[in-house]
This record gives sequence, structure tokens and C-alpha cells, in this order.
Amino acid sequence: MKKCIVFLLAALMAIIPLAASAEVSLTMGSWRADDVQQMNNLLALYKEKTGVEIVFQPIDPPQYNTILRQYLEGGIGPDLMYARSYAPGRENYNAGYFFDCSDIPGLKDNFTPSSLEPWQNADGTMFAVPFAAVSHSVYYNQNLFDEHNLAVPATWEEFIAVCEALKAAGITPLANGIADNWDILEVAFLNMLPNYVGGAAERALYESGEKPLNDEAFVMAYTDFASLAPFLDPGFSAITYNDSQVMFATERAAMFMDGSWTCGTYDDVYFEWSVFAVPAREGSETRICFHPDMAITMNNATEHPEEAQAFLAWLCSVEGATEASKVLPAGFFPMINAAITIDEPHANAILALNEGKQTDARFVWPVYLDLYTPMLEQLNALLKGETTPQAAADFVNSLVQPASAQ
Amino acid sequence: MLLIPKKRRSIPALYPGAPYWLRYILPALLVYLLFMAWPLLDSVRLSFYTGNAANRSFTGFSNYVRLFAGGEVTDRYWGAFGQTWYFFAIHMLVQNVLGLLFAAMLSNATLRGRQVYQTIIFLPTTLAILVTGYLWKLILNPLWTRDVLTGAGLGALVYPWLGEASTALTAVSLVSCWQWVGIPTVMFVAAMGNVPGDLLEAASIEGANTWHQFRHIKLPIIMPVVGIVTILTFVNNFNAFDAVFAMTGPNGPPNYKTDLIGTLFYRVGMAGQHPVAIPDTGLGAAIATVTFFMLCCGVIPTLKRTQTKE
Repeated sequence: MKKCIVFLLAALMAIIPLAASAEVSLTMGSWRADDVQQMNNLLALYKEKTGVEIVFQPIDPPQYNTILRQYLEGGIGPDLMYARSYAPGRENYNAGYFFDCSDIPGLKDNFTPSSLEPWQNADGTMFAVPFAAVSHSVYYNQNLFDEHNLAVPATWEEFIAVCEALKAAGITPLANGIADNWDILEVAFLNMLPNYVGGAAERALYESGEKPLNDEAFVMAYTDFASLAPFLDPGFSAITYNDSQVMFATERAAMFMDGSWTCGTYDDVYFEWSVFAVPAREGSETRICFHPDMAITMNNATEHPEEAQAFLAWLCSVEGATEASKVLPAGFFPMINAAITIDEPHANAILALNEGKQTDARFVWPVYLDLYTPMLEQLNALLKGETTPQAAADFVNSLVQPASAQ
Repeated sequence: MLLIPKKRRSIPALYPGAPYWLRYILPALLVYLLFMAWPLLDSVRLSFYTGNAANRSFTGFSNYVRLFAGGEVTDRYWGAFGQTWYFFAIHMLVQNVLGLLFAAMLSNATLRGRQVYQTIIFLPTTLAILVTGYLWKLILNPLWTRDVLTGAGLGALVYPWLGEASTALTAVSLVSCWQWVGIPTVMFVAAMGNVPGDLLEAASIEGANTWHQFRHIKLPIIMPVVGIVTILTFVNNFNAFDAVFAMTGPNGPPNYKTDLIGTLFYRVGMAGQHPVAIPDTGLGAAIATVTFFMLCCGVIPTLKRTQTKE
């Protein structure tokens, strides 16, 4: 009897791998719990093409970094997973969990160096393949602009003139507020910052310590940022990101400095709206804060490395990236270096702002993520008039000195 | 003694020295040990470690050193410490004094419509603070109430109460008082029900006015309840988290002025701070442990002072 069972078990074990190879099933970890439907559509399409099933298993976004790391350390990580850009993602590669994606076909050819950089290790190898980016701009109410004969501003000076005209007409120019403690930095100040400090090449100079974070460009950026205070709602200190969205959607404010991920929010509003890039000062070049956000990588411990790598290669092909761009929610843009048309007109308008302009990631993300909170606190103080642009720049810079001295 | 079955091998039978009442408290004791005492001790243990669940290493007192040695963590801790005391003081002054006042009024035998007042006073307590906090957040936001208030001639009240460092914590504290004032009221009403009517009658015949009756008869009799209410307020406020979380968020804005020990602990030990959001459980456990000993230091003397005289 016992022998019989042993034999049966052995036979079963011989059959299982055969059955499994007939239909491979992979899992994919993600922090995009909002996109389950869209990703399932994409993965169903991929299954039709290749017969490989990929199961999308998102994790609560704020917990993603922590839980993913615990899964990886416990040996139960997903086969494929979203990778954060810069240090948080790189850490998982250094710990041996993320696959070295450098040789994935198409990766080196179909992406520009600046799209690869966020997921690149110090030695030039890649720990993930780029998937989607978000952009930043100024949303504006076209009806209100027309009503008051206002044109889209091309320079910062014109932008301030537009704000003044709106304010004189009794309309709150900008919907932004500071109560939520993240948006004023990410969608307002870092949105403006490339116009003052420059693109990726100049950012590298600040990161290497060649330029201080309280130079003329930074002080000018803080100065112009502080000059926005009178154009916010007088109660801006209590206005949350949600309030700002409602203000813009209900025409209580004419403009909103925001990220592209919101563009699906205003599908139902009763007015025409569009976007423009935060304009640079007269004589300076206008640049866009185009932030690399999502990438996908493979778990080194996966049982199906071939199938997983094939999927990554598909994402690096123009065909795969085009299919992916169709299912991504409005405002998340493909990063591949190919002309992909986006159907959603507003998202398309945001992407079109990039044409002929330099783009760069949010300034603090690549190296200075520790400055996120101090910079945010200085911005709050600037708008409230509790500090000066020079003092704010000096304070933030004082926190950098030890790092650049290393 | 007849209650003890003779043949069952009960605990007193196994251990003849054990008192007979042990078996009655044993189930509750086990639940308490498993779900209260053990996690508490384990969090004390955690405070001597660093790293996350998969990769923890012993670091001795370094979490406590970081907490008290100066630098940003220390500033945040003492800031939250002071603000928690302020939060507690507002509750003692407003919530409990109002509770006492309401109870004195409600226990007045000639009061009409008692049920209505009782319901109104207790109603907020039955709602979730996440709901009431959010409602008050909207009410206190000039964006949503400016038109109504200005129209009603109350333009002076249009102010970003939750956005300014000088008013935010007071506003949050008062909302929390409004929410919880029903609890001390109910306890004081119940306590005043125990005041013998003939005592008050005799006092009034002797010429004692309402204040004298309250000060010299009612207050001494309800003193043990005052002690319990004080302890409950103390414990609840030192663990307070939800009011701030609902009204200004886990960062305790503006500029950490509404940060309490509870929100600081949540941010450091459980959630991490945006955008990296990786918690430091060891430091969080150190904050929790210090808070625990502080609560003990506050509760035990209060208990002794108010509960010994029966």
C-alpha cells in the first residue's frame, strides 16, 4: 500500500511540471491598485498572443515598498513587479532581488538615456524596464480666459499679469493650497523648478555639489513661487488637494498647477479646459517636469525566467508599448522613444507640451529625496510670509553640505 | 464552598495552594495576557531592535538615544509631547467642566425636556470621529463656509482655523471636546443620582444655596467619578490620534503644530513619511514604550488619590 502511494506521488510529480509548462502562469506585483481593470485587459491581450498568463496582484500603494520587500525577503515575491525609480528601486537590485534587465531586447535601442536613467545602477546596468511617466502643467479654464480676453501666457511675467487680471475680476486665479503637505511641492514648485535650474544635465551639477542649492537660480525660483501667494484663495493654508480639484472643477478658480494623473477627473465639467506649461521668465527657456514613475522588472527568484523576460521584451517593443499606452489611465504616458498617439485629447494636450522642450524628473527624486520634507516646509513658510526666498534657499542648502562634502 | 465540584480535577485541585477564585479570572486573564500584556511587552522588546520584520537586529538603547539626544526626532517628540499636554488641558478645562455643568443641570429635578437635552449632548459621541472630523474640517474651511458665514453677518469667523499654526491645535481640541463631552456628562449624571435627596433637602432647609450644595455635598460624593473621568481623559488623550488624523492629517500640519504623540508614533512606527514611506518600527516602539511609562506615572497617583477614600 505504502509503495503504491509513493509510486502515485512520484507519477504526479512527474506530470505536474509538464502540465505547468503547457500553461505558464506568472504573478505581477504593483502599487497601482486603481488600474486593475486596465492591466487585466492588457494582460489578457498578452495571453491571447503568447498563451502566458500573468495575474495582476496590486498592493495598497502606501504599503508597496514595505510589503514587496517583505515578500522578496520571505521568498514569496511575485514573478514580475513594478519598480520604483531611483534609490528605493535600486536598493532591491543591490539586495539581489531585481533582475539585471540590461540585455532585454529593445531596452537600449527604444528608450532615450534620460528615460533609462531612473532605473539605472551606478555601473550602467538596468534594474527594470521603463513603463510610464507623469507630467506637470497648469490646467486652465478656457471659458473664463475667453470671458476676460486672456491669452495663454508665454512668459512668467505674462502669467503673473493673467493672475492679476483674474484677481481684479474677482476670480481666484490659482486653486492650489498647502493643507495636504505634498501637492504644493510636487505639482507647484517642482513643476516650476526646471525653468530656473535647468534640465537633467544641470541637475547633475547640483547633485555633484558643483552648484549650491542656494544659487541665484534657486533664489529666483523661491522668489517667483512666493509671489504666487496673493493669487491663491486667502484660506489656502486650509485647502487640501481635494479642495483644489473641486475648486477648479466648480469654476471657483481659473487655474490649477497640477500633475497629468488628474486629467481624467474633469471629464464631466461644464466648461472647456486645457493646459499650458508653467512659463519661464522672459528670455529663459521653458522646460517641463516630466517625471518617470513606473517601471517593471523580474524577480531573480522566479521559476519562469524565460516567460517573464519575454514579457519585459514585449514592453520594450514599439508594439507592446503601444498596446500598453492604450490601457494606461489618462495622464500616464509611455516612455518609449516612438511616436505613440494617445486617444484622450486632454492627455494628448499635456504630452504635446513636451514638444521642443527639455524635460526632467522632479528635482529632489534622483538624489535629494531627503530634502523633500524640509523643502516643503520652506514653501509653506514662504507662502505664509514667514521666511524670505534667500533664507529658504540657504536653509535647504545647509542640509546638503554634509552630503556634498563626502 | 459548595460550588466547587469534588471530583473534577480543577486548578485548585491540581495546585492545592491556589486560591479558589483563580479559575474564575483565568479565562479573562488568558485573553488579557495574550492580547494586551504580551503585545505590550513585545513592543518594549521591539524598541531595542532596528530594521524591518525580515531583517531585525539588536541595537540596545540606540532608539532611545536617538529619541532624546537632540536632532529632528527629538524636536518632533518634545513638540508632540507639549501639544499632547495642551490637548489634554483643553479637554480637562472644556470637555470635563462642560460635562460637570451639563450633569448639574440635567440632575436638577425641576428641569423640563431632559430627554431632549440628553440626546443632543450625547449624539456626537455616537458618531465616528472620522466622519465628524471631516465635517468640521469642511465647516472650518473658509472655502466652503465663507459665503454662508458672511451672509449671516459672521464674517469675522471666516478664517483658515486648521491652516494656521496659532489656531489649528485649539480648533482640533475643541472639536474633539464637542465629540466626547457626552461621556463625562453621562458619568457625572449617574454619580449625581447617588446623592441622597434628603441630604440636599436638609441642606436647603439649613440655608445652603445651589452653589453650596454643589460644592459641599454633590462634589465630595462624586469625587471618585471625577477621578475616573480624569484618568480616562488622560489615557485617551495621550493615545489620541484619530481627531488629528481626520482633521489635519498624519503629518500634524501646519508645521507639526497639531502633531500629538499618537500621530508621531503612527508616522514613525507604522506608516513612514511620504514619499519614501518606510516605517522605523524600532523607533516607533521606543515612542510607544516611553508613552506607556508616562501613562503609568500619571494614572497610578491619580488612582491612589481619588479611589482610596470609599
